[in-house]
Amino acid sequence: MLLGAAALASLSGGMPSVANALEQENRIGGRMDVPHHEPKAKRVIFLFQSGGPAQMELFDYKPDLRNRMGEEVPRSVYPDDRKTTMSSAQASFPVAPSPFRFSQQGQSGIWVSEVLPHTARMIDELCVIKSLHTDAINHDPAITFQQTGSQVPGRPSLGAWLSYGLGTFNADLPAFVALSSKGSAKTGQPLYDRLWGSGFLPSQHQGVKFRNVGESVLDITNPPGVSRDLRGDLLADLSRLNSLRHADTRHPEIIQRIAQYELAFRMQMSVPELLDFSGEPNHIVELYGQDCLSQGKYAYNCLLARRLAERGVRFIQLFHQGWDAHNNCPTQVRRQCADTDRATAALLNDLKQRGMLDETLVVWGGEFGRTTYSQGDISHEGYGRDHHPGCFTMWMAGGGVRRGCAIGATDDYSVNVVENPVSVHDLHATMLWLLGIDHLQLTYRFQGRDFRLTDVAGNVLNELCA
Amino acid sequence: MPDETRGFNQVVRPLLSENCYPCHGPDTATRAADLRLDNEREARRVTDRGEDGQILLLQRVLSTDPDEIMPPPEAGKSLTVAEKKMLVDWVESGAPWKQHWSFMRPESPPVPATSGNQWCQNPIDTFILSELHRQGLEPNPAAEPGTLARRLCFDLTGLPPTLYQIRDFETSCNARGMAAAVNDFIDELMASPLYAEHMSLGWLEAARYADTDGYQNDRYRYQHAWRDWVLKAFNEKMPYDQFVIEQLAGDLLPAASLWQQVATGFCRNHRINSEDGSIPEEWRVEYVADRVDTLGTVFLGLTMGCARCHDHKYDPISQREYYQLFAFFNNVAEHGVGPNNGNSPPFIELPASWPIINEADDKALVPAPVELRAARKDAGNGLQRPQAGEPNTVMVMHDLPQPRMTFRLLRGQYNLPDTSEKLLPAIPTALATITSTSPGNRLDLARWLVDGKNPLTSRVYVNRLWQQVFGRGIVETSENLGAQGSLPSHPELLDWLALELEQSGWNIQHVQRLICTSATYQQSSDVPDEKLRSDPENRWLARAVRSRLPGFVLRDQALAFAGLLVNRIGGPSVKPYMPPEIWSSISNNTYDQDAGESLFRRSLYTYWRRTIPPPTMVNFNAAPREVCIVRTEVTNTPLQALTLLNNVTFVEAARCMAERIASPENSTDECVVALFELATGRKPEAVEQDVLRHSWQMAHRYYLEHPDAANDLLAVGESPRVSQIEVTKLAALTNLALTILNLDEVICKE
Repeated sequence: MLLGAAALASLSGGMPSVANALEQENRIGGRMDVPHHEPKAKRVIFLFQSGGPAQMELFDYKPDLRNRMGEEVPRSVYPDDRKTTMSSAQASFPVAPSPFRFSQQGQSGIWVSEVLPHTARMIDELCVIKSLHTDAINHDPAITFQQTGSQVPGRPSLGAWLSYGLGTFNADLPAFVALSSKGSAKTGQPLYDRLWGSGFLPSQHQGVKFRNVGESVLDITNPPGVSRDLRGDLLADLSRLNSLRHADTRHPEIIQRIAQYELAFRMQMSVPELLDFSGEPNHIVELYGQDCLSQGKYAYNCLLARRLAERGVRFIQLFHQGWDAHNNCPTQVRRQCADTDRATAALLNDLKQRGMLDETLVVWGGEFGRTTYSQGDISHEGYGRDHHPGCFTMWMAGGGVRRGCAIGATDDYSVNVVENPVSVHDLHATMLWLLGIDHLQLTYRFQGRDFRLTDVAGNVLNELCA
Repeated sequence: MPDETRGFNQVVRPLLSENCYPCHGPDTATRAADLRLDNEREARRVTDRGEDGQILLLQRVLSTDPDEIMPPPEAGKSLTVAEKKMLVDWVESGAPWKQHWSFMRPESPPVPATSGNQWCQNPIDTFILSELHRQGLEPNPAAEPGTLARRLCFDLTGLPPTLYQIRDFETSCNARGMAAAVNDFIDELMASPLYAEHMSLGWLEAARYADTDGYQNDRYRYQHAWRDWVLKAFNEKMPYDQFVIEQLAGDLLPAASLWQQVATGFCRNHRINSEDGSIPEEWRVEYVADRVDTLGTVFLGLTMGCARCHDHKYDPISQREYYQLFAFFNNVAEHGVGPNNGNSPPFIELPASWPIINEADDKALVPAPVELRAARKDAGNGLQRPQAGEPNTVMVMHDLPQPRMTFRLLRGQYNLPDTSEKLLPAIPTALATITSTSPGNRLDLARWLVDGKNPLTSRVYVNRLWQQVFGRGIVETSENLGAQGSLPSHPELLDWLALELEQSGWNIQHVQRLICTSATYQQSSDVPDEKLRSDPENRWLARAVRSRLPGFVLRDQALAFAGLLVNRIGGPSVKPYMPPEIWSSISNNTYDQDAGESLFRRSLYTYWRRTIPPPTMVNFNAAPREVCIVRTEVTNTPLQALTLLNNVTFVEAARCMAERIASPENSTDECVVALFELATGRKPEAVEQDVLRHSWQMAHRYYLEHPDAANDLLAVGESPRVSQIEVTKLAALTNLALTILNLDEVICKE
């Protein structure tokens, strides 16, 4: 079959750089000048918790608020102008303390909520950042900002930037895969294709969505009544006919097309092999939980993420819906944690035991935090929390990340950042840095301007890096 | 011409723009040393010899001292030796200055003196040929008539020709010569509603038309009546000036008709946020900004949005001027948060007879004002939503009786107005061709665009007409003709076409006819190896363009070959095949697939959900329709191959193609040839026929062994099976048809 260089070049749009020779030898595509420095991590698994997890229920421990239940959150701490219109007309803004028990975990002694028992056992692998803040108070702009560095649609997502900058290691799978799962909490906010889009970058960098129902990759399966062998024979004839056309017209795109059809045929093998979990031993299934065998579950996506990582996929983005706890917050948080905690920890554990954690950057978090005041009526278990852009918690682990540390702090109410503020641009700059990229240098010209993921901001968080 | 290519706009300004304007350009906020180089008078300070006898610009540019050299090392930019030499040459020849090319009116260029050349069909060719000769290239021979017929059909109707059309065209070429045949064929194609549908599709993408609101839950809107207006406009060959005026300000025309009011739906096609918790003013500002950005991109070819937060870094548009443009669109009687299903006010109710309107009823209506009501009963929820328009309404422009105050917004933010100065609507000074009276409303703005003095409007549009056919505009960056945009490959040709558009009474079809009747257009697209080497990107057009068809066209083509395509113009969007649970798998809505003929309408009617657009179209580089996009790329990926080989649309089409040509009387060979001819418009060569026969035999052998598999394949798709042909034969032919649908020749315009 006519394959090889043409197929690879068409996927990538460039040749490997000379830096970091060993790594580059196996790399397909990416920009010549990347990496800019020695990378700490080869790939990313981003465990995105969509809807906005409540920071004070999980990591941002505020024991003193127990005594202030129902007291008014002072306007001096929480001014009115950036409250959403879902709660801004409330007559009062009473403190709603978390009902969950917190304890110090691991060697590092980081405080973790009782609803994250599995993550707690991996705490010494994590760097917990309590001082994230964002610009947006609504889901759509906030999640778009987290994924693309801008609230306005049309910018490339993180994974697309990495595909463009770093290329990939496996021609038979996409460089960037997006996975989604629904939580069992009440409210699931929708996802949008732009979150894994390529924006103004060439569209081969867009994330390929593995669907959570039915056929994982769109049209990956032959039509009913067409066997793989028959398809192979017919594709060989298609290539012959196209080669004849090439001989007549001399258009090099025809050779590229032939290569893409051959690549598609190979993907039809590699994707089912990827999704066949039957070879996973019992102790692995046990580690992730039985959910890992059900398509569309978070645990399934965690296990799939590991398998994608093993096969050289550069950026694996999970989206787990359901963190938007406007009411019955404690119940909803418990459910979300029950969906995710075990599998998240299992993924870290599994990567670690395979020696892959050191070269994989794992990121956990959502698009914003939640209000310390109760949305709606308050009782010990029966309060809600509205969107809160002023502070939220994320964590990172793995390649290049300092292990067992917590950085940043919020005020006594978990409303404002008081130490080490970290913007979304800072987070992006740091992620890129760990992958060997200077965020200032990874640019793409669009509408006459050199755009970058971090717009005109972003500082690398040195205290986060090992 | 040779002097011009070395001139200020071609060489010097791009260098200054790229390297100097970030600190010495139009943006006052970041301007260093109080020096600007985008303005002749100011630049003279450093390009003229100073009292010390030195020329400061050269001193700094040629310096080797890191503290002295410009651009400074920290800017991350540097000039090459050749670039420095260009600056030296320019300064030493007195630093001649010219306004940026696209801000000057196009002037009637001298038509190059190749007019005597036999090859040239019209002045387009003389411009192209003189440049080809300068590049040492000669044009290709003319395309075969069959190829040309196919090309014309795709370019003017977005569909392949029927076999009858091809044979008819070939006969006509033989009888009367190609020129006459082409002219008649263009007449025939432009008279067809298929032409209007094809032209509308490109406009829908630019106008960010969609069937949903685009944010978060992405609820439904009903804007298809506006699409009906676009179809009607192209069907009736509306001149471009009227096309522009009605969409921007049809509601303000004297004695505005209902159709003219519906046209203004263009300005309401932006996304609308209905998310719980939204702050209305934050989003209303976004809608106004979107209108300004769209105006900039689609009509002026300028990146207006760059001046929302600060003065433009490269083009002479200050932030203040941005908000003066903003003021034109800031008075809409709208609310910043949507109703969360249905149209957002202002909207009007359409007569039940729509789109058939009696002359007596063809009058603009007065939309009801916004009526706010509490969104939820929850205590403390302050969100209010406006009334929702039902499916029989359409969103239009309608201004408040009392205009809103417009202020410059610091950093572009809704809550940071600079209230020290109230801004009135005005055109940016650099573009101000209206001097007598300051424009007051959208109608003045629209008329200014097409008043025949605006330097950009006609260039921008002919450039996109060129792009639509040749894949690349004369200015490649068709969205940006500003200082950072690419330079025109054929500047005189661009100006000539722009003036043709204006002087023909803004006749779009006149320009398209000029393009399609040119020898340039009618060349063969074959690429001899030496041309591939000397002009790999085909910038100089020594051959016609060969390009992969857009996703919309690929689907429509397959339906046409299958005999499934429904030819009915206009109406609400339809929901054809989508992957299972396409919406509900990641959102809170369910896609209810249509049945019957709605599955087989042209792709421009496919329901467009902004946050989850039709994957098959997106796969083939369709614009996502979140914001205005006028240029999309053409990629070639394995996912496209999977779609064309496995997607139900194409598999069903292949089966229907097989059913169309197979009959008990036809031999296998006849069927194979007929299938091939149906899709390519030509008979296979002997060697091709051998391969096709081999394919058929292999497939047939397989289905003889697996008759159940044959039935499985033939059951794909909703359209009933009608052929009585034996299933193993039909299944084998279906596979063959699928192969043919995937031929490079079939998925490309040649």
